[in-house]
Amino acid sequence: MADPLLAADGLGKTYGTEVKTVALEGVSFALERGEFASIVGQSGSGKSTLLNLIGLLDTPTDGSVRLDGHDTLGLDRTGRARLRNELLGFVFQFHHLLPEFSVLENVVMPGLIAGGSVDALRGRAVEVLGLLGLDGLERKNANQLSGGQKQRVAIARALLNRPALVLADEPTGNLDTVNSTAVYDLFRRINDELGTAFLIVTHDRAVAQRTDRILEVADGRLVQDVRDAYATPEARPTGGVAEGAGEAGRPAAPGSGEGGGGATEAAGEPASGPSGAPAERAAEEGASAADTV
Amino acid sequence: MLSLRIAARFLRTSPVQSALIAAGIAFGIGVQVFLGSLIISLQASLVDETIGSSPQVTVTSATEGRPVVYTDEVRAALEGEPGVTTVVPTRSYSVIATQGEESVPLQVTGGELDALDTIYDLSGRTIEGEASLAAGEVMVGRDVAAEYGLAPGDDVTLVLPDGATDTATVSAVVDFGAAAANRTLAFVGAATAAAVLGQAADEYTAVQLQVDDVFASVGIADALAAKPALDGLSVTEWQADNEDLLSALQAQSSSSYTIQFFVLVAVALGIGSTLAISAVQKTRQIGILKAMGMKDRGTGRIFFWQAAVLGTAGAAAGVVLGVVLIVVFGQVSTTIDLSPQWGFTAISFVVGVAVAMLSSVIPSRRTTRLDPIEVIQSG
Repeated sequence: MADPLLAADGLGKTYGTEVKTVALEGVSFALERGEFASIVGQSGSGKSTLLNLIGLLDTPTDGSVRLDGHDTLGLDRTGRARLRNELLGFVFQFHHLLPEFSVLENVVMPGLIAGGSVDALRGRAVEVLGLLGLDGLERKNANQLSGGQKQRVAIARALLNRPALVLADEPTGNLDTVNSTAVYDLFRRINDELGTAFLIVTHDRAVAQRTDRILEVADGRLVQDVRDAYATPEARPTGGVAEGAGEAGRPAAPGSGEGGGGATEAAGEPASGPSGAPAERAAEEGASAADTV
Repeated sequence: MLSLRIAARFLRTSPVQSALIAAGIAFGIGVQVFLGSLIISLQASLVDETIGSSPQVTVTSATEGRPVVYTDEVRAALEGEPGVTTVVPTRSYSVIATQGEESVPLQVTGGELDALDTIYDLSGRTIEGEASLAAGEVMVGRDVAAEYGLAPGDDVTLVLPDGATDTATVSAVVDFGAAAANRTLAFVGAATAAAVLGQAADEYTAVQLQVDDVFASVGIADALAAKPALDGLSVTEWQADNEDLLSALQAQSSSSYTIQFFVLVAVALGIGSTLAISAVQKTRQIGILKAMGMKDRGTGRIFFWQAAVLGTAGAAAGVVLGVVLIVVFGQVSTTIDLSPQWGFTAISFVVGVAVAMLSSVIPSRRTTRLDPIEVIQSG
């Protein structure tokens, strides 16, 4: 059987030497190619730490990450940088565009880092920008764009090297509802059209509801891992975040554990909690969160 | 070359900061070029004035009172030595010149005018009369002429070493450029001197030499002394008798080097600190680039390239500034022959660029160590 795209095995991160703070502990899960998943959890739960470890931006104190068959444990900084460039795309809460460069230059930057030239990458960059509705903005400076446009440029940049996995950390945290919805629609479209896997960190359950799989992190542990019963494009309802979240067409129901649909997997800890069935809880919270969007 | 591209963009998007840092380098290197050229010109001028118009190596008989027999073999040995530019056999003696009741000791050098010109530039330095060393003629220094009221055409009585007296006609008055020489030197023809000294045609008191690099005289003198053709002859060079002048020149060089060193240190500190600030300012960008997969080495090179670009531009501007200063100063100053020292200027340029690049080490290392997570987490 082929390696999963991502395999986290007993991931842990502890800060400090004398006074130890455990940010993440014993997190194990696998992500297949083309999956569209989210990591939810409250502030300080460790979800961003998890994303940073998976993204090779940080190194774990325990456990390991395998990316596309590569064991990242023994990699030095250069090796990790190479994998980040080849396999991963990043979208952060803040767009993190380079203000010194034009939109086009920002988008082609991962390709330039990989050794390409602007001329060779221009076509693909224009194509990705077009996909994101940013046609004609290539020559503008990154600073001249609106917040939503900047974030879309950041997404275009994340997609340029055709990464197998896009890691997004609160990608809509700084955006209004309209732009947030647009960004998620984009993610979903790219996931459908290019087969790019997404792992999106969010504290917003309404947002998480729109993904096919929800990994919930609490107190540094993966407390549940829920797969959507309707995680296929055909089964998916259309519409914005507010429509989709928690409505009948998209139940985040805990399934019977059969196949890929509706499975609640024990991850790190038994997937149960004081509030009962986790996916139900997720659905409820998602709905209430969606109301506020 | 992505690092260079990013470096250039960083510089272009902070034009004031880039201009300031380049200006800092330019002024530093400008001062360096100006000061270096000034000191070198001053030294050349000083050396030229003090020993330029005198023999730098002198060959005499090892036995006092004996003449040097100037054979073809001796001449070939002297002229064949690398670095020797001028070889002039001379006859020297002392006289007492009397004019009325006044008398003054003079050091007379006899030789052919053309040959003497190559060392003493008698023709060029003649200020009265016409340079000529025919039989019965003498050329005297300006101070002697002024003190005794001598003018071209005047006769002067010379009391010779053996007590005999001779009368010579002043053909020209010469300004040797130094008071001591103007008070004591006199020149006569080779035949006149031979007659006074009773020397044969191939006998001379000394052979006077000039060399292309006056500071290489020690080595040349040693090489000459070792030649078999010059057996029985003694070779002396100017440095042995001019320690004061040498130490003055060395002190001048040392003080110049000290000033230049500190100018370079100031330049290095200026560039280093500005680049360090730039590295802090660009921390976010560097972190983002690293998150996208740019390697530590690549991001470190950004500041290396910035320093290289700034160093090259700044040093080039500094060279222009320094040369302009030297040219302007040279036109204003009438006493010193100032000219840009191209060799030194080239070295200053290279040193300027090298210092700039060296000062990028700290910001580059800081950048290399930066973890992308530091930037990403701080948002």
